Amino acid sequence: MAGRRAAVKAIDWIAFAERVPPNQKAQFTALKARSDAIYSKYLSTPEKPAAINFAFYKSRLANPALVDEFEQKFNAVKIPEPVDTYTAGLEEAQKKAQADVKSFVAESNARIKGYEEQAAVYKSLPPTELMTYDDVFAAFPEMKPDKEKYPIWPHRPIE
Amino acid sequence: MLSRLAARSAAVAAQHHGARVCVVAPSRLFHCSGQHGRPIEPLPEEGGKVRMGVFPEEWFQFFYKKTGVTGPYVFGTGLIATLLSKEYLVVNNEFIAGGIFVSFVVYCIRRFGPDVATYADKLRQERLDFIDNKKGRFINDCETAIETEKKEQWRAEGVDYLFDAKKANVAMQLETAYRERLHEVSNAVKRRLDYQLDVETTQRRMAQEHMADWVVNNVVKSITPQQEKEALAKCIEDLKRMAKAS
Repeated sequence: MAGRRAAVKAIDWIAFAERVPPNQKAQFTALKARSDAIYSKYLSTPEKPAAINFAFYKSRLANPALVDEFEQKFNAVKIPEPVDTYTAGLEEAQKKAQADVKSFVAESNARIKGYEEQAAVYKSLPPTELMTYDDVFAAFPEMKPDKEKYPIWPHRPIE
Repeated sequence: MLSRLAARSAAVAAQHHGARVCVVAPSRLFHCSGQHGRPIEPLPEEGGKVRMGVFPEEWFQFFYKKTGVTGPYVFGTGLIATLLSKEYLVVNNEFIAGGIFVSFVVYCIRRFGPDVATYADKLRQERLDFIDNKKGRFINDCETAIETEKKEQWRAEGVDYLFDAKKANVAMQLETAYRERLHEVSNAVKRRLDYQLDVETTQRRMAQEHMADWVVNNVVKSITPQQEKEALAKCIEDLKRMAKAS
């Protein structure tokens, strides 16, 4: 009965662990522990219970009709399958997360472009020996001396 | 010296732009001009070439075309002779003092010049290194940031792993719950059957015990005192015989 179910998809935990950002390691470890617990429980539960030896009981019990009744009713019983109410929500969350990832990647690419432009600006500077102070101050504004705050002698404009 | 530098700079500019070489030093500062976008020429590290310590090579080149090799020497000697002869250059105590002063200056330059030059070079190199480091650090920062961004993208794209794991967990839990139900039903049936079996076994055992008790009791009740006495006597006789035999 249970064999017709699709085999549970195996998760590549090593590849997964590589992709987890360092600040989410704790959550990942918790998820891994819970998943392992679930998996070990899944493994330790045999697919089918041990078959009941009705013939044995029939031979031993004084009333075989009773055993027959048990057997009939046991074979007739239909066990309801647990209803899956979570996968739909997960699918939805996954779609949302994928959209988030897509927008993050777009933003990240924009940032990368900005960084590349910045790096290109620095890389395209002439060799430092050939730069004048004006060039240097244009490239690195923080190096420009603040003459307003630290005026040099004579500390006021020369008429 | 400045004029020589200007002349050379103008020559370079002419090479680049085909401008007319001006004999007069151009009235611009070499590296601060907004003249054009051509790359700045590096400042010369060494002074120009000189002969006899002071006379620029260009002067000799200038004379060479007109007078040949000896021309400038003849001109110099003649110039000095003229100056002395006409007493433009008067050799008196001041001339001697001037000569001593010049030789002192030359001595000082020779003696301390290299050290000063080294120190100045060091200062310049420090500034250059500072700027180079800054530049390198900025570029490095940018590259690190790009790398980090790419890694984060790669990590973010691993979100499917999480949902795969969650889905697998849900599926496994459902499967486990279903199996547990199967087990529960089966166990319940088995327990009831076992109970029936146990009940019957116990009843049979108790009936057997009861019958055995009943039989034994009746046998014991049927033994009379006479029979008991005979049995005792027989036992004692047996003991005596066994003692004799040993």
